[in-house]
Amino acid sequence: MEVEAFKRLYPLPFYERYLDSSVRPDGRPLGRARPTSVSLGAVSTADGSALVKIGNTTMLAGVKLEVMVPSQETPDQGSITVDFQMPPICSPLVRPGRPVEAASVISEQLSNVLTSSELVNLSELCIAPGKAAWMAYLDVYCLDADGSLLDTALLASVAALAHLQLPAVSVSEEGRVYPVSSSTSGDVSMEGAETSIKVKGNSISPRRRLKLGAAPFALTCMVHKKHLLADPCAEEETLLQCSITITMNQMGRLVSFYKPGGAVPATTAIVKECISLARRRAREVQQILKEALEDHIESPSLMQTD
Amino acid sequence: MSRAASTYAVPSYNATPDLSVKGVPPSLLSPEGSRLDGRLPHECRPAYMKTGAVNAAAGSAYAEFGQTKVIVSVYGPRESKKAQAFSDIGRLNCDVKFASFSTSVRGKASQGMEEKEYTGMLHKALECAVALHTFPKTTVDVFALILQSGGGDLAVVISCASMALADAGIVMYDLVPAVSLSCTGSEVLLDASMEEERWGDGGMIVAAMTSRNEITQLTMTGEWPSTKVSEALQLCLDACLKLAELMRSCLKEQVVAGGQ
Repeated sequence: MEVEAFKRLYPLPFYERYLDSSVRPDGRPLGRARPTSVSLGAVSTADGSALVKIGNTTMLAGVKLEVMVPSQETPDQGSITVDFQMPPICSPLVRPGRPVEAASVISEQLSNVLTSSELVNLSELCIAPGKAAWMAYLDVYCLDADGSLLDTALLASVAALAHLQLPAVSVSEEGRVYPVSSSTSGDVSMEGAETSIKVKGNSISPRRRLKLGAAPFALTCMVHKKHLLADPCAEEETLLQCSITITMNQMGRLVSFYKPGGAVPATTAIVKECISLARRRAREVQQILKEALEDHIESPSLMQTD
Repeated sequence: MSRAASTYAVPSYNATPDLSVKGVPPSLLSPEGSRLDGRLPHECRPAYMKTGAVNAAAGSAYAEFGQTKVIVSVYGPRESKKAQAFSDIGRLNCDVKFASFSTSVRGKASQGMEEKEYTGMLHKALECAVALHTFPKTTVDVFALILQSGGGDLAVVISCASMALADAGIVMYDLVPAVSLSCTGSEVLLDASMEEERWGDGGMIVAAMTSRNEITQLTMTGEWPSTKVSEALQLCLDACLKLAELMRSCLKEQVVAGGQ
């Protein structure tokens, strides 16, 4: 029988033959993740953005800032709203008009991980206590879905927040917020007709990057019989028995552990192996992100906007 | 500074300048005759196109025209929705979405009618270029996502969609390059940017099958001096011809690169 025909007719036996020789059809060893790339500032209408690829899975994350009046309970905190979208372009399974179940699950998980990892200190988003704070909308769009969606979405979110710059603004006594041209800082606001009267009472907060806490990185693993596969593609996700997603922060601490049932119970040995794979992957991804950030800061396009 | 004076002004700030604020139009042409971004009035924006952007799709394309960035993927031909009546010829199903961060104000476009309008327009621009009889009883889905809106969005979506269709191997009579144009006072500005569109009096979008010399879609909006119309149409058609060349060479490159 021809290889292609065998693959179509008996996908699982086809796959298991590979697994028995500890390799995957795409040539990867079982524990290795796909090539990963991060590029920052892909969308200039967003205040922070990042395009992330893990293998074929592609995600675009963008942060938009708006000013809000902080709530009475937390007058010195801003807020972040996280949303994950799977538009119909990303997969043949998604049709327009019907929201995808997976998308809302990932949206929720993403939001939980970002909150519980304390990546963003919400006080950082404060402009003037009790008067004004930043409301950050983080939207992640899946452009190409080929497995390990949460891992990619989380990396895109972290990268977009790392790329985010809070613009320079001046705040009047009543809590009105005005943009300040960053080139000459305070002086420009005096020329603006609207702000000229209130300049004396205005406090100016300069343009700055968000200070981030320990970044979380996720790794999805598939358990199949006694094999453990890191970073599955879409085909592997549908074919194999059960998945485990582990989120680890860059200090090597466990942030979340997610095993949504599945046909196979995971043994403690498997869980331990997953955690060590995730720890290694977190270091690897952190390095990729660091390089992307360094490249971006060195590049002249950012120098102009600084 | 007392909290008692609780008349906090409504925050009035958007990180990027709010384009809906009315004001005095800036001069779109410098005394030397160059535009805000340094182009000449009859010059198109730098364009970049690439097929095969989405692996999960049967065909896909990414296009970047100046600040406008769109991605289109094509699925099918596949089974039509059960609810649809029997059709001897194939169906073309389109959907256009804006990413929430694509506009200056978040979610501005997706709340309005723009997505629906663009969806209908895209369908009409492509319908007559696709050989529908080659995939009877089935549907080809064309999905577009506008990642960054920077003017001339619909024209870019149409051009990009016809590239994606070609990439998917859907039989077409010709590629459908589309070009937009903005009319400001006595000037016509080809391939207008967001800022130019905003201050323009009238707009025109032309989608054409250039090798057949046929126009698939022509829309005009706003105020037009009648003397300018034929000049504008000719400009758009010339630009379509150039864009078609670019699209062809891009498709050829991809085929050559893929064949190696």
